[in-house]
Amino acid sequence: MTATGLAATLLEVRQLGKRFAQRQGRDRGRNEGREPSPWVIQDLSFSVRAGEFLTIVGPSGAGKSTLLNIIAQTDTASAGEIVFDGTTISSRDPRALKPGIDRRIGYVTQDDNLLPWRSTLDNVLFALEVQGRLNDETRAHAETLIRTVGLAGFEHYYPHELSGGMRKRTSLIRTLVYDPPVILMDEPFAAVDAQTRTQLQADLLTLWELGRKTIIFVTHDITEAIALGDRALVLSKQPTRIAAEHMIPIPRPRNVKDLFALQGFAAVYERIRADVQ
Amino acid sequence: MISPAIRSSAIATALFRWRTLLDRVLVLVLIVALWQGGSMWFGAYWLSSPWATTTRFVEQILNGELLRHAGYTLAEASAGALIGGLPAVLLPFWLRRHPIVVAILDPFMIGGYGAPKLAFAPLFLLWFGVGMESKIALTASVVFFIVYFATLAGVRTLDPRLVQMAQIAGASERQIARHIVMPAAVPNIFAGFRIAVPYAIGAAVIAELISSNRGLGYLVQTGAMNFDTTSVFAAIVAATLLVHAANLLMNTLEALLMRWRPPLQSMMET
Repeated sequence: MTATGLAATLLEVRQLGKRFAQRQGRDRGRNEGREPSPWVIQDLSFSVRAGEFLTIVGPSGAGKSTLLNIIAQTDTASAGEIVFDGTTISSRDPRALKPGIDRRIGYVTQDDNLLPWRSTLDNVLFALEVQGRLNDETRAHAETLIRTVGLAGFEHYYPHELSGGMRKRTSLIRTLVYDPPVILMDEPFAAVDAQTRTQLQADLLTLWELGRKTIIFVTHDITEAIALGDRALVLSKQPTRIAAEHMIPIPRPRNVKDLFALQGFAAVYERIRADVQ
Repeated sequence: MISPAIRSSAIATALFRWRTLLDRVLVLVLIVALWQGGSMWFGAYWLSSPWATTTRFVEQILNGELLRHAGYTLAEASAGALIGGLPAVLLPFWLRRHPIVVAILDPFMIGGYGAPKLAFAPLFLLWFGVGMESKIALTASVVFFIVYFATLAGVRTLDPRLVQMAQIAGASERQIARHIVMPAAVPNIFAGFRIAVPYAIGAAVIAELISSNRGLGYLVQTGAMNFDTTSVFAAIVAATLLVHAANLLMNTLEALLMRWRPPLQSMMET
């Protein structure tokens, strides 16, 4: 089901399965034949090429965040494996997990998770700082990113002084600034209003055109999946599997604001919508 | 950038401040009046009057007596707060990665927290002598447990998503402790010290009361022995002012260190 030939596969998810551990409680001893917990994700496979913008659409509660957590190595896999750049990175053992695998997988989570005691600039510089890569060049790069997403003038504001959209932009460039080859995004724009979301999508595409990172972008919004992605995967309800795959035939650079007028948009939208249960 | 809403809220804040100040003065007047009434009822011999206390207070400030003794008590309380407070702040950080040790220590820490530390004062005097050391030991033991539990609560309520974010960005355990856990726990550490410092000053005074040759507790003790209630009150007023000064210092420090926090609106509502 993968489109081959364009570029090498960078990340591959093979028959991935996930079930959460049995709840520990008073009932535990009473149940003789302990019922195994249900599979949240089962037999899920897909691959991503280097430089590809992959979107994953699925209904709420489809285990989308769990999938990204397993790829980001903040959670364990119960079955199957994830191969990244030729090596298996997934694990059954929580102690063997390496979140972000040596800074090569960035993760823009659903909540902005900004450090409340750091200003916008210091939040953006955080990764560079802990990686010991803070110098004039990287600092200038950070400032460029801040300007690109329209946060100039807000460098010294604390997160509580920013709007929701500004916090999102900050959390976005906080990951982009240290340049991980793969970036996972978990519905990063779900909590902002429609106008702001369109602007943030446009910002993201602008930034992506500059560097062409590999992005896996999870969303429940079909329009967003089409606006951003080269390819969209549709997830089924639990246990989550890949229900369908769609190429997005809209040429780049795209203008997110006029998306509905573009040729081919309506057709892709209808096909994806039919697959989303 | 200042909107009318912000300006009107600034006016509301100013009004709130003045109102508070005015009402505080009224409460003070009421307390002094009650004190004066009590003094007249029981007689100044048993209960010194506010005026006599104020006179004695100013007198003892001017001749340096009060400042010398208060300085002594303050030194004991500060040393105790530092010696007890520093390990109490650091311990939960070391134990963060070892929840089993925290669980093992828990009943002992609760025991130490709940034990009447002032009852240890005679023991500390026995072990460390009548000098400063015994008072420092007592205040340190009082401060340690309060700050330990406050810091532990801060470390425990830490948002794990912030730690995960830092791990993904490539932060080491040490960097996480320094850049994530520590700043997140600062409000709790302050809350701990805010409760502990008045206790520290109180503990120092009480240890001095039991046995000493200097300090505000010593002034209280000699005043009572000489049936000089005016001196007792003057020393108590000095100890109270010391607590206020310490509190003011902490407020300033807290405001400086926690500028990143959104202002607490609920505190302003009347």
